[in-house]
Amino acid sequence: MNLFDASLTVNLAGISLANPLIAASGCYGYGFDYRRWIDPGDWGAIVVKGTTLRPRTGNPPPRLVETPSGMLNAIGLQNPGIDFFLKSIRPQLPELQCPVLVNIAGETLEEYRQLAAILNSVTEVSGIEVNISCPNVKRGGVSFGGDPALVEELIGLVREVYRLPLIVKLSPDAGNIVSVAEAAWRAGADALSLINTIKGMVIDVQKRRPVLGNITGGLSGPAIRPVAVRAVWEVSAAVSIPVIGMGGIMQADDALEFILAGACAVAIGTANFINPAVAREISQGLRQYLCDHGFSHYRELIGAARP
Amino acid sequence: MLPDHNLIPHLIHQCTLIEINKVAENWYRLKLQAPAAAAYAEPGQFVHLRAGSASDPLLRRPFSIHNADSRANEIWLLIRVAGKVTSALAGLSPGGIINILGPLGTGFPVPDDEGSALLVAGGIGLAPLYFLTLRRQAAALPTELLLGGLTGNALPDDSFFFRDGVHPLIATNDGSRGYRGTAADLLEMRLQSGIRPTRIFACGPVSMLARVVELGRNCGLPVYVSLESFLACAVGACLGCAFPFKTDDHIEYRRVCRDGPVFSGEEACFELV
Repeated sequence: MNLFDASLTVNLAGISLANPLIAASGCYGYGFDYRRWIDPGDWGAIVVKGTTLRPRTGNPPPRLVETPSGMLNAIGLQNPGIDFFLKSIRPQLPELQCPVLVNIAGETLEEYRQLAAILNSVTEVSGIEVNISCPNVKRGGVSFGGDPALVEELIGLVREVYRLPLIVKLSPDAGNIVSVAEAAWRAGADALSLINTIKGMVIDVQKRRPVLGNITGGLSGPAIRPVAVRAVWEVSAAVSIPVIGMGGIMQADDALEFILAGACAVAIGTANFINPAVAREISQGLRQYLCDHGFSHYRELIGAARP
Repeated sequence: MLPDHNLIPHLIHQCTLIEINKVAENWYRLKLQAPAAAAYAEPGQFVHLRAGSASDPLLRRPFSIHNADSRANEIWLLIRVAGKVTSALAGLSPGGIINILGPLGTGFPVPDDEGSALLVAGGIGLAPLYFLTLRRQAAALPTELLLGGLTGNALPDDSFFFRDGVHPLIATNDGSRGYRGTAADLLEMRLQSGIRPTRIFACGPVSMLARVVELGRNCGLPVYVSLESFLACAVGACLGCAFPFKTDDHIEYRRVCRDGPVFSGEEACFELV
């Protein structure tokens, strides 16, 4: 079999992707900063930075610290707000030449509903990812994401006003991620993204103070991969909607772990910081794996680790 | 004007280390074969560097470009050993491979600037200002480099500078070399003697930068500072390197990696970091 006969195309909750690789929200800005290293088509889709109703200044520095095989971030959803997005970012989105999804975050249920209602009429945006899992904001974020009843109410409200694909991004810090996943599914979610970062902290022993300005941050990178693979394994067995797996994917084998655990697509965040061409390399690696093992489509691998 | 970030046609470079020298206590100068970076580098820009492929340390580290020679296809880095990555770099031998992204970031306003300049370097803050000094001297622009260090052997010796035709005014905290004091003290001394450059450029610890900006402000002189921050993406996407600036009575975070690392010092909120 020829390397390029191996197909990576995927239909994710109604969105056609050229490949199952998605740029993870928060790690990729609005998709334009990496154009020196990435060609259109390297990504299946791009999820842009978490967007709120009003502009957010973000958290005080330091916002980053490296940890063993990972990093903590506490950006605090710094973004220029939905009005700026509509006026200045939206017209440029077609240049990215792949489906674009917007990650939305609110401090109240009503803010999520308003954001979804606004984006429902934005043709340049293929879907939304509802962020109920940011560990770095005081209101909203993960404080919504741990309670299945609240998640069901929130996603129900968003579903009423949003007709295009609706993805819900889940936190590993939710007490029981499967219960939250089932709640989002019942409320009408079309797909689930998991996992967001895991809340953590680092203390500077010389200064005897927390390193991060926000005190705590979200852990990402290879350090969280086993937690993420386990979450995908459990959630994909419990729901009948597609799961997008993410958490420390650095190379094709890592992406394959998620796919074999049951993910229909995978998102890549931290790895972009180390290798801006990582999407292209993982696509090539997936094709090579399919070729080497006699599969014609990666779809055959989804959940294949399950006995 | 610096070239548009997105128009520079280069990707990720596997560079060969050509030469590595210890130039002061814990300081090393590295020369890398890096044609594209050498062709486009401007003073104040940096490369985002990775040595090895392990997941710990995971992230790249930013280093100011210390000099670029487009004819020799070389860039130079000047590093002070402070942690895991700098220790690993100091232990490399010629022929070693270093992976870089860059040049990245917005550097000093040069060579359009036709006025005179005072350059204030605190310790390893010398790295980007040395490149600026060489570029300005090559353009015959009046340039004076002020350099501060803790002690004499914490700074490169005279031959390091003289072979490039650079003659810095030096101060050390213990007075073991040059004047007793800091780089900011040297600036104060020069300003008190009536020197009025068109611009002041500075790189060093935050406390030094705050004082340099204040000294410049008192004389009505614009100060440009090169800031340091921990970076993840280094291309402007992740917002992790944000530094606070004051505008119209509110705080706004700007990206050290992309909007900087060189900024006008006037609005920088050094007291908040």
